[in-house]
Formats: sequence, C-alpha cells, structure tokens
Amino acid sequence: MERILEQLPRFLSQRNLVLLAEAAGMTLAMTAAGCLIGFLLAFVIVYLRQTPGRWALPVRLACIAYVEIFRRIPFLVIIYLVLFTIPLVLRDASLFVIAVVSICIYATAYISEIIRGGIESVPRQQVEAAATMNLGRLQTTLWVVLPQAMPVIVPPAVAFGVSFIKDTALVSQIGMFELTFRGKELNNQGYSAVLVFGTIAFVYFLMSWPLNLWGQYLEKRLAAPRSQRRRRTLRQP
Amino acid sequence: MNYTFQFGVVWRDLGALMDGALVTFQLGLLAFWGGALIGLAGAALKTFGPRPVRALVDTYVVFLTNTPALIQIYFLYFGLAEFRIRWSGEFCLLLGLTLNAGAYLTMIMRAGFLSVRRAEMEAGEVLGMTRLQQISYIIAPHIARTIYPALANFFIVILVMGTSIGAVIGVDELTGTAITLATVNYRWLEYFTVVAGLYIVLTLIASVGLALFGRWAFRVKARVF
Repeated sequence: MERILEQLPRFLSQRNLVLLAEAAGMTLAMTAAGCLIGFLLAFVIVYLRQTPGRWALPVRLACIAYVEIFRRIPFLVIIYLVLFTIPLVLRDASLFVIAVVSICIYATAYISEIIRGGIESVPRQQVEAAATMNLGRLQTTLWVVLPQAMPVIVPPAVAFGVSFIKDTALVSQIGMFELTFRGKELNNQGYSAVLVFGTIAFVYFLMSWPLNLWGQYLEKRLAAPRSQRRRRTLRQP
Repeated sequence: MNYTFQFGVVWRDLGALMDGALVTFQLGLLAFWGGALIGLAGAALKTFGPRPVRALVDTYVVFLTNTPALIQIYFLYFGLAEFRIRWSGEFCLLLGLTLNAGAYLTMIMRAGFLSVRRAEMEAGEVLGMTRLQQISYIIAPHIARTIYPALANFFIVILVMGTSIGAVIGVDELTGTAITLATVNYRWLEYFTVVAGLYIVLTLIASVGLALFGRWAFRVKARVF
C-alpha cells in the first residue's frame, strides 16, 4: 500500500500520461478502423448470402460458413492465425495492419448477423412493392430495404463496436502498442501492478462508458416502434 | 506463398489439445454457473432491494462491463500478488470470468425480471395461488423462457472469448496449450488451424445441446445457425 502511494506522483508524470493517452488513441483507432471496414464488408456478406437462384448456392454456403466459423473462434486464435498468415501474402505488414485485419475478420462475422436481423425486420410487402415498380435487386436493397433497416441495424452494431474496444486488449499479446501493452510495459518498469492496471482499467472505462451511454441513447431514439415515432411527431406543435 | 503445411506434429499432440479442450469446457461451465448465481442475486437485488443496494449493484455492473476482462484478470493475477495473495492462474481466470459474467448476466436477468407483467401476477392471485405458487408456476417459467436464448448465446461467448484469455496468463486451456506446444516447434499455423477447428466443434456441440434442451424444457425455438 505504501509502495503504491509512494509511486503515485512518479507514475502520474507527464511522460507516462502522454504515453497512455497515445496508447488509448491507438486502441480507439484500430477498433474504429476494424469495425468500420467490418461494417461495410458485412453488408457485402449479407447481400451475397441473399443471392437468389440455384447457381448461387456455393456463394450462399460460403457466406454462411464464413460467419459461422469466425463467430465460433476466439479472437485470440484469430489474431494468431492472422499474424502467421499475413507474411505469406504481404511482406512487411505492420502490427497495426495485423490488428486491424483481425478485428475486421471478427467484426464482419458478428455485424453481418446484426445486419441480417435488421433486413429481415423489413416487411416482405416492401420488397414486393419494389419488384412491382421494376426495381432491380441492388436498387431494392439500396433504396427500399436499407433505409428502413438502418434504425434496427445501427444501435446493436454500435453496441458491438463499443464492446469490442475492450476485447481489443488481447491484441497486446502480439506486441501492438495499445493500452494494455503499455500497461504491461509500465508494470515491467517496476510500477505497482495495482496502480498500473487500475489506471488502465479506468482509461478503458473512460472510453467505453460514454460511448455505451450514447449507444443506449441511439437505441431509444432509433429503435422506437414506428407507431410511437409517428405519435411523437404529431404531438409537437 | 511458399509455406508447406506439416500437420504431422499436430496429430501427435492431438491428445494434449483434447485435454486443453476439456479444460476450456470445464472453465466455461464453472464460470457460467458462478456468473449465473451472481446474476440471479444481482437482478433480484436490483429489482427488489433497497436503494443503496440497488446503487451498489449498478456500480458493480457498470464497472465490470466497461473494463476489459483481460485487465480484470491481470488485476487479480498481478495486482493481488502485491498484497501477498498468490492464486494460481486457473483460479484467477475462473474468478475473473465469474465476476465478469456475473455483471453481464445481471443485465440479462434483470431484463427477464422486467418482462413479467403485473397482470400475470394478478391472474395468478385470482386463481387463488399462493406467493410461492405464483413464483414457481408463473414468474419462473416466464423468465426462463424469455432469457433462455440470451443465456445460451452468452454461454457460447464465455466458452470461446472468455476462457481463451487464460492463454495470456499461462492457463493450459485449448489456446494456451496450443501456444505452449507451438513455441516448441514453430508450427503455429498448423496448431492454430486445428485449434480453430476444435473450437468450432466444441461450440457446435454446445449450441446444438443448448437448442435441444431449450426446446425440451422451455419450448424455446433457439437457433443453432
């Protein structure tokens, strides 16, 4: 206990604080990059998964297999697989690229399930009406289905991204300079583990909590049933 | 792309990996049931408890769900050692996962508690049920049915995402065993391909079992895919 109090002023030096802030930025950056790319790729996966016709069966099966496989493998195993596969494809890939690719693979699998749920929530009649108006499949998806599915998709997708900030702590295992790795480094420099990991946990909390509250606000705002939304607009003068 | 896969060593070590899979399954099961007990107590306290207790449960849930499980386990493993409390990696992992799962399961079960409508209780009262009968015939089945899919989903998450954290502090579960073995002969890709396959088999068994159990016990149509 005395040791922690004695180390506290030295630990909270400007150098360490800047280091931790940069590391927190790195954690946020790689989560945001991975999840955003994953979000876009998930749309592609869902679109391909719903390709009609018998000839497209292999495509559909491949999409289902991708989602089912990568949702069932731990993130740590994905990181190691990417770490040792990437050098075969790409020479001199940085750790940041490896981290983003791992996050992306995992996020794509998870978010595509969220998107599929959102798209299935759109009434069938909407698609039929679009078909009557002679819209193609891509047009129907872009202009009819997605605008209605988005309010259902966005809140859980944001919640996934926010909760993934915490799971990226595992990337420290391959030596990526993010928050957890810096924490281990400081601990190895002789700072008390209680102090270091307490601070790191607090920094994660500072990133995750406000975003979580924002996600809950989004959910309340967007996912209200259509009837309630109309009533709310009517009541306003 | 000039990598030759050599799965020979992996097949030789398959027994060790299977042992690791067993440890993973046991850890997942224990952490889930421990977490479920905490979750049940937490949800009950949050629904029926006095105000300070509710605030306490809220604080527990907010802090544990907004910090990484990895850091919580580091805290138990490295942090408590400074107070002369030295627990084994397995115990720290189990304790950390249980506390972490407890927070998430409190949220899930609280949602289940809230889904019981007043009218259901009143209907039970009209039928002349005692309080205990109302709980065992109306509330408990209703809650079980409502939260079963979320619980089944969470069990898979803790079985896969949760227990693999143990590899980082040297617990010999599936991922940890693979890392230990791969550091000897550097066949990382082969070991991790097989480990990924084992995880898929493990979770598929768990999902199918949970879906069948849910259908039999609560008539829940849980999806495997």
